[in-house]
Amino acid sequence: MSSRIAKKRGEWINRDKPLTFEYEGQQVQGYEGDTISSALWANGVKVLGRSFKYHRARGILSFANHDVNALMTDGEDTNIRADVWPVSNGMKLEAVNTDGGVIKDKNKYIDYLSPFLPVGFYYKTFYKPKRMFPFWEDKIRKAAGLGKVNFNYPRHIKPKRYAHCDVLIIGAGASGLSAALEAAEQGFSVILVDENRQIGGSLTYDLAGDPAATDTLSTLQAAVESQANIRVIIDAYAGGYYGDNLVPIVEKSGITKVRAQTVIVAAGVFEQPPVFRYNDLPGVMLGSAAQRLVHRYAVKPFNKGVVVTANDHGYRTALDLASVGVEVVAVIDMRRDGAAQDITQKVKDKGIAVHKGSCIYEAVAAGDKLGVKEVVVCPYDETTAEADTSRSVRLACDGVAMSAGWAPAAALLYQAGTKMRYDDSIQQFVPAQLPESVFAAGKVNGVFELKARMQDGRRAAAEAMNYMGKVVAVDSVKQSLSSSPSHPYPIVNHPKGKNFVDFDEDIQVKDFINAAKEGFDNIELMKRFTTVGMGPSQGKHSNMNAIRILARIRQLPVEKIGTTTARPFFHPTPIGHLGGRGFHPHRYTAMHQWHVDNGGEMFEAGIWMRPGFYTPAGVKLSAADAVQQEALAVREKVGMIDGSTLGKIEVFGPDAAAFLERFYTGKFAGQKVGESRIAMLLDEAGVMLDDGIAVRMADDQFYVSTNSSNAATVYREMQRNVQLWKMQVTLVNLTGAMAAMTVAGPASRSVVEQLTDIDVSAAAMPDGAFRTGKVAGVDARLMRVSFVSDLAFEIHVPYKAGLHVWNAVMEAGKAFGIRPFGTDAQRLLRLEMGHHLISHDTDGLTNPFEAHSDSLVAMDKPFFIGQRSLKILAKKPLNKKLTTFVLDQGFNGELPNECNLVIDSANNISGRVTSISYSRYLNRHIGFAFVPPEQTNDGARFQIRTDSGAMVSATACNAPFFHLLES
Amino acid sequence: MPLGLLKYGLSREYPAPRYFRDCTQPKKSYDAVIIGGGGHGLAAAYYLAKDFGITNVAVLEKGYIGGGNTGRNTTIVRSNYLTPEGVNFYDASVKMYEDLSEELDLNLFYSTRGHFTLAHTESAMRTMRWRAEVNKHVGVESYVVGPDEISKACPQLDIQCSGQAPILGALYHAPGSVARHDAVAWGYAKEADRMGVEIFQMTEVTGIDVKSGKVVGVNTNKGYIETNRVLSAVAGFTPRITDMVDVETPIVIHPLQACVSEPMKPWLDTILVSGSLHVYVSQSSRGELVMGSSLDPYEVHSTRSSLDFVEGLTTHITDMFPFLSNVKVVRQWAGMADITPDFAPIMGKTPVEGFYLDAGWGTWGFKATPISGKTMAETIARDMAPDLIKPFRLSRFEDYELTGEKGAASVGH
Amino acid sequence: MKLLQCPINGIRPLSEFTYGGEYRDMPDPDTCTDKEWAAYVHYRNGAPGLKKEWWYHGPSGTWFIAERDTMTDKVSRTYIAGQEEKQ
Repeated sequence: MSSRIAKKRGEWINRDKPLTFEYEGQQVQGYEGDTISSALWANGVKVLGRSFKYHRARGILSFANHDVNALMTDGEDTNIRADVWPVSNGMKLEAVNTDGGVIKDKNKYIDYLSPFLPVGFYYKTFYKPKRMFPFWEDKIRKAAGLGKVNFNYPRHIKPKRYAHCDVLIIGAGASGLSAALEAAEQGFSVILVDENRQIGGSLTYDLAGDPAATDTLSTLQAAVESQANIRVIIDAYAGGYYGDNLVPIVEKSGITKVRAQTVIVAAGVFEQPPVFRYNDLPGVMLGSAAQRLVHRYAVKPFNKGVVVTANDHGYRTALDLASVGVEVVAVIDMRRDGAAQDITQKVKDKGIAVHKGSCIYEAVAAGDKLGVKEVVVCPYDETTAEADTSRSVRLACDGVAMSAGWAPAAALLYQAGTKMRYDDSIQQFVPAQLPESVFAAGKVNGVFELKARMQDGRRAAAEAMNYMGKVVAVDSVKQSLSSSPSHPYPIVNHPKGKNFVDFDEDIQVKDFINAAKEGFDNIELMKRFTTVGMGPSQGKHSNMNAIRILARIRQLPVEKIGTTTARPFFHPTPIGHLGGRGFHPHRYTAMHQWHVDNGGEMFEAGIWMRPGFYTPAGVKLSAADAVQQEALAVREKVGMIDGSTLGKIEVFGPDAAAFLERFYTGKFAGQKVGESRIAMLLDEAGVMLDDGIAVRMADDQFYVSTNSSNAATVYREMQRNVQLWKMQVTLVNLTGAMAAMTVAGPASRSVVEQLTDIDVSAAAMPDGAFRTGKVAGVDARLMRVSFVSDLAFEIHVPYKAGLHVWNAVMEAGKAFGIRPFGTDAQRLLRLEMGHHLISHDTDGLTNPFEAHSDSLVAMDKPFFIGQRSLKILAKKPLNKKLTTFVLDQGFNGELPNECNLVIDSANNISGRVTSISYSRYLNRHIGFAFVPPEQTNDGARFQIRTDSGAMVSATACNAPFFHLLES
Repeated sequence: MPLGLLKYGLSREYPAPRYFRDCTQPKKSYDAVIIGGGGHGLAAAYYLAKDFGITNVAVLEKGYIGGGNTGRNTTIVRSNYLTPEGVNFYDASVKMYEDLSEELDLNLFYSTRGHFTLAHTESAMRTMRWRAEVNKHVGVESYVVGPDEISKACPQLDIQCSGQAPILGALYHAPGSVARHDAVAWGYAKEADRMGVEIFQMTEVTGIDVKSGKVVGVNTNKGYIETNRVLSAVAGFTPRITDMVDVETPIVIHPLQACVSEPMKPWLDTILVSGSLHVYVSQSSRGELVMGSSLDPYEVHSTRSSLDFVEGLTTHITDMFPFLSNVKVVRQWAGMADITPDFAPIMGKTPVEGFYLDAGWGTWGFKATPISGKTMAETIARDMAPDLIKPFRLSRFEDYELTGEKGAASVGH
Repeated sequence: MKLLQCPINGIRPLSEFTYGGEYRDMPDPDTCTDKEWAAYVHYRNGAPGLKKEWWYHGPSGTWFIAERDTMTDKVSRTYIAGQEEKQ
């Protein structure tokens, strides 16, 4: 434990719980509370990963999840972010994206090729000749990517949680904590979120060597803990901002979707690296990273280090380092004028040399580029960004802490629609105009001084409360900064490059210059061409420097360059968290269990589960045989199908008939009580949407059925038109409330009459008749229908009685050989009858003229939906029409499939098969097809091309097909 | 290491020229003005110059080139449509794409990976067969395959989709490809610029000057430009442009969203689409999974993201690939899709003389970039649309002659 | 997910609603020309702006009109069709 220092006040590790894990085959000791990186660093392990493009050795940079230098796999999971992921006992870790281990990575040679891999190099080569591209592409694909996915990783289902609050505060630093207290004290409910494992933000680590600095935090912490109105969620980040203040809070255990009245973003700032050659060597890290190591994990970042800074924060870092015994060789201040007098003096008092107007020209690598051994320090010209190499000095060190400035953690503010402006006095983008229920506080709002940050939090909370209607005073916040927290251009040019801006993507200063030379000189094009900010850390440590570089290239103010859009997610978010538990609901009919128990092969029909056919227990039956047997039972004896999935809508009121007249194509005004009529629905363009049956139960009451799949949409459109047409109509959707079954076949009357008090004789109940009465002792609606056979009865009963009636019919039908039949047999039976199915035999453009449904369209009515379009269509020649057809008797070739094409003699597509089936009853293949209108005449021949390309002759043939039996 | 890169390591001066000039102030007049510096507009400019020698052309882009739907789509190129006219049109585009890297002298990463449209229901299988049959008829390599063949191409796919929606089969489309979308815009810009076309970024059209039914000029934030020929190729902004010339269209704007995962080593070699699960996914050459879903359900003229989208998409992605639970989504975004009622574009002349429309590209515009550029260039040069795009004329709506793509209402991407 | 105010049920999440397209006045089918009717059926006002739209609250089966800016996605008011004045 070479770098671990003595126990510190407020440290995040539990020294009572030591643990052991393995990294790249090496045993490592850590403590509970360590992250992987802190434990490794404490053990002197500094090569935590290899970079994406050049495979350079990388250590800690931000130590805050603002870079992805350290990505690891435990064999099970991949792309584990070592900087923030807690260690656990027995972990076995390796760095991702290496070939042969992180130290010996065979791909490190790519770093030497980098001069030949200019920005966007992959656009410039690999495509001539064309046939070579797949070869190169394979190499590129293999080189790209980070971790390997484990195909056996278990599916995690993380249910979503929901929360509501008055004020959602993102970031529990000084300003966020203050805002929370202000709002909670006034009685508002607060949710306070922080991605760290403890609240406090920079108060936990930015101490400038003064242990008493944590007193402020202790006070705030105690106040927040005792405040019942504040719910604190730590170790969680706000994933993004979505409309109407919806913010997903992402924890390891899942996502809480928070809907807040107001949102205060107090998310702070990301430290930005100064840019110099080899600023990426292991041991070179941000000042805030060094502070976090020291104060949270009690780890020395290095033994003998240099601080390079372009703001006063570097001085604070130097003091923190010195306070734990790090030998700080010098503070290199890139600013000509250096820092404020008092803090400079404090640093000098520690015996640390301060070099104003100087920069690190380059860091010098220790053996094999696995660490840093010294830095080259030169005078620095802030205006030209050039180092004066004629006056360089070398300082030996094993680490560098870097501070140059900050970028606002404003992603959620941008997503909420905040307009940002560039504040020259602090060299930072700050909110200029916020959406009405969103507020910003603290550093993200440009407020840096501690006292001012706390005031700013209270100010933001006061504004939020005013928005919610509670009038409270809003005090303006003033801060007096001695110098800008951020430097306008912390970049050091170097002819040999490797001065990294984006560590995710290995992008150097010259890449930006060259991209601009090639014309990619606005920020969005530059982002896309260089890929800056497109890596997994999404530009958190790189976008601001990229903007500064582009501004200098273009000689424009930073504000004119603008920023790229910050999209969700704030941090990459697991698919399993986002997906949560998927809902795939199904509906069961009242007879569902009966079907299952009696061999029904259940399948999804829209939202319903329906039996396709039945294979009774103990019977060996192919699907095709089952379907044919079921159909034969209907033709020769009797069968029954569960039709509960039909849409069933009651239409009441004085305007009921008038409403149906306008809604459907047919006539209903003169329809007699107890009669049924076909109800066909079109859209405004005249396209067929649905067909069902409307029965008149009373003068002012209709009972309308729809196709199973259209129940919800037809009901919805009815509701809309009732409102639009201002009609006195009430609609009740009985789809789920009523069970329905159809008893069909020559013996169906004999079966039904045993069970009902209704006179079902042919004379009393002709086809299309509707009656109410008792069936099996239950109040029922009974209808003569002829969709699947000439004689059939549809029985509708309340859902709860469905199974009882079904069982009664099965029992009564036993003597007649009744069989249940499924949807497959129904398809065949209706085809034998010559009935098309809307959306099976028709498509999204089919009108009634094309579907042989002219007789269902009452063009002489004053109005119905689609009528005016049909009047236009009626003037146009038809170019296709639906016809019924048969294949030749005894056909035994390759059977055409539905959607095989009809091909004309000139080898053009002239139509399409929409239904085809073999009928054992008819011993023929029959079907529906779209063909040119002239080929719909009985006896017309046309050719169908099968899957394999064989041509099959078909003959247009009038339906129903039963006349075929007579020939 | 290809030799072409040597010069970058060996030259003192950076050896690559600008892709295109930095044009700032338009001239007084042009032979043609193209509104929209996306792939379509830039391609039209390129083919106007190359095929017809019309080089006095200005491309006006209100943002930056390729910054609209060109840079926001999921880069799938395919031609497995439902109607012969659709298949022919997109097939011509696929064939142009295959040679486009060489033609534009820029690697577009055009990568033919094969495209599976998964079917989870019998009715989806019927539609796959319909498309396969029409494709075969026109000479495009598409056929219906069973679960075994899908598994062979993508062994990681859970054919049962976690039991939620078992896969019955798929339409396999061999030419299905992906490409680097930005590069397509850059390549056309580069070559159009080389032939004299002027490309103006940050240049917004504020009005179109029509006199006696003819275009005579356009107003921009950089002044008035005289021209007799204007092409609108602005996707989600089409209604704002057509309103300037009082041309009515059926176009409505719905956001289309997408997202990418963090990069991982390559494992998904094919392009997968599931209409039932509303998912399409491929793996980019950077290793990211590029994922999209269906259109947002209502009209919005902005590129905001929604949580609903990414929740729905990831649920279905894990149905297909349960092991992706802990793979992370890095970024989501949206584009503004210009939707037509028959899922086909609107191309060609309009009632205003000299005003040409290239619009209605919905979710299928990127794949048509080369052919739309070429055919619109011809339309502008000859003031007559070529046969290939006649089915897509604006007047088809008044004539009740919508394209048959509407037949299969939910054809995937 | 956004929120939407159903005139009957108050503020509910958008997932409970179905978009029903822009509210448009139908031309008189008896007097309009074929061209006018075709335009009514097929053409849309696609430009951004404040629009009257049909929305449907599924759980309660309520159709209503929302006045919404399609650029900002902000709804200024909602009411049952024909009861605009009562709001």
